[in-house]
Amino acid sequence: MILDLTDVTVSFTTGPPLRRTRLDAMRGVSLSVAEGETLGLVGESGSGKTTTSRVALGLQRPTSGTVRFDGRPFPRRRKDLAGRMQAVLQHPHWSLNPRMRIGQSVGEPLAVLGKAAGELVPEALEQVGLEAGFAGRYPHELSGGQRQRVSIARALITRPSFIVFDEAVSALDVSVQVQILNLLKDLQAEYGFAALFISHDLGAVRYVADRIAVMRGGEVVETADAATFYSAPEHPYSRQLLESL
Amino acid sequence: MNRTARVKRSRRLDPLSLAGLGCLLLLVLVALGSLVHAGGDPDAIVGPRLRPPGPGWWLGTDNLGRSMLPRVMEGVGTTLLLSSAAVLVTAALSAGFGILAGYRGGYLNELIMRVVELLYSFPAIVLAILVAAVAGPGQLAAVASIVLVTIPLMTRLVRAAAVAVAERDYVTAAAISGAGLPRILGRHVLPNVAGTIAVQGTYALSVGISVEGGLSFLGFGVQPPQASLGVLIRQGGTYMMAAPWLIIGPGVVLVLAILSINVLGDGLRDRFEPRETRSLI
Ligand SMILES: Nc1ncnc2c1ncn2[C@@H]1O[C@H](COP(=O)(O)OP(=O)(O)OP(=O)(O)O)[C@@H](O)[C@H]1O
Ligand SMILES: [Mg+2]
Repeated sequence: MILDLTDVTVSFTTGPPLRRTRLDAMRGVSLSVAEGETLGLVGESGSGKTTTSRVALGLQRPTSGTVRFDGRPFPRRRKDLAGRMQAVLQHPHWSLNPRMRIGQSVGEPLAVLGKAAGELVPEALEQVGLEAGFAGRYPHELSGGQRQRVSIARALITRPSFIVFDEAVSALDVSVQVQILNLLKDLQAEYGFAALFISHDLGAVRYVADRIAVMRGGEVVETADAATFYSAPEHPYSRQLLESL
Repeated sequence: MNRTARVKRSRRLDPLSLAGLGCLLLLVLVALGSLVHAGGDPDAIVGPRLRPPGPGWWLGTDNLGRSMLPRVMEGVGTTLLLSSAAVLVTAALSAGFGILAGYRGGYLNELIMRVVELLYSFPAIVLAILVAAVAGPGQLAAVASIVLVTIPLMTRLVRAAAVAVAERDYVTAAAISGAGLPRILGRHVLPNVAGTIAVQGTYALSVGISVEGGLSFLGFGVQPPQASLGVLIRQGGTYMMAAPWLIIGPGVVLVLAILSINVLGDGLRDRFEPRETRSLI
């Protein structure tokens, strides 16, 4: 398994002092993602999907429970994992630094590793269907779909074994969504990375996921093979979600 | 929150801000002119004492018979130089502390913000007098006062901007890629709060000019014979009834400087930060 969450709980305390309330964004969540597999994570807004991804990426320490990446707990130094996991995040408008040229953004994960980008940046852009000339542009000169392609190029450039997509296509037009989802499948077939694909849109998830996990109120209520899930969901909440599709 | 549609903003400054910029540049030119005595020798006695403006002394003469024109020119230079030096220090410190507090949060943030609030709670002129009392009156006291007066608001606003930037996906993505603190702060946060720093730096410059004016007026800042706008207004005050031009010349220039800088600041703000932020004044 590339990723293993066992009985993970994340609690936040919020509110003003003296009137603090505790909120479990994740409660006893166990999930795993195998090498090369795509796990689709669905659930309504506030169900804890992003929190789960932050835990999976080592950005959020669980209140209790264990996380293993590639069989080991997260190293103390983030740098030790550099290049092995990447993410494509929600908002196309904020997914790229407006002050950096596309080429710099795409090459950044290599720069972090101290590697020369060289030919890799134009190559990465071509892989996601963009001309090499995009490297010299700034994000505001790109459409939302193009920006998400750039984010994907950026995520792929270190050939990571695990990529998180958190609502990566949700802000895009449906036709553009389909293009990006197709691109993802092609790239995954070629490079074999494992993925955690988060969305509140069951249709998009169906397109790419091998397995589906359903979250509600911080808990995983059902995990199933995609085929099984879409034909015979077990949990009443899953059925409810599918019906509204 | 779907703000994919970018707030439309023009690349150019509006005419009013351009006028402000022009006026400011003119004052800088005037200050530079004083270096080559373009308006005459500020120390030379050119005529009778306390003369109203006229040929030979276009802004009048002072109580020693010196022409006010070169003295005001020198004063503008001193005031602008001290204020800009102080604002550069403020900008550097505010950028450092504000970005660190905004991005790291936690105890560091608490500590920095407590200090900032403490400074903020002193009225500007009290703070300036305290500094002068500790450092002794002079240029250093003026610069230090301006820094201490302008640093709280600028640090707060830079911090607020950094907090907003820190939540953006590109910062998270960089952190996930393993980027270290120097790269995240230097490549991602700083360039994206630079607009705030520029805008607030402009406002801070006008505050700096008024603090220098006030402090030197009270006798705690720049010391005669060196001229600054504050020094000139102080000296003119003595003869306010007999020779009001002594105070009008430097006074008008002071107001002009502050106004043009604020107008420029508003223009830069609209250009860099489409949302409303408050000016220092
Ligand atoms: N840093 C935080 N501090 C306090 N509460 C938080 C924090 N992060 C998340 N939460 C809360 O945890 C819950 C789960 O949030 P999360 O962002 O994981 O939901 P989500 O499933 O990703 O929702 P969405 O589909 O809207 O993105 C929410 O109730 C949220 O308010
Ligand atoms: Mg989310």
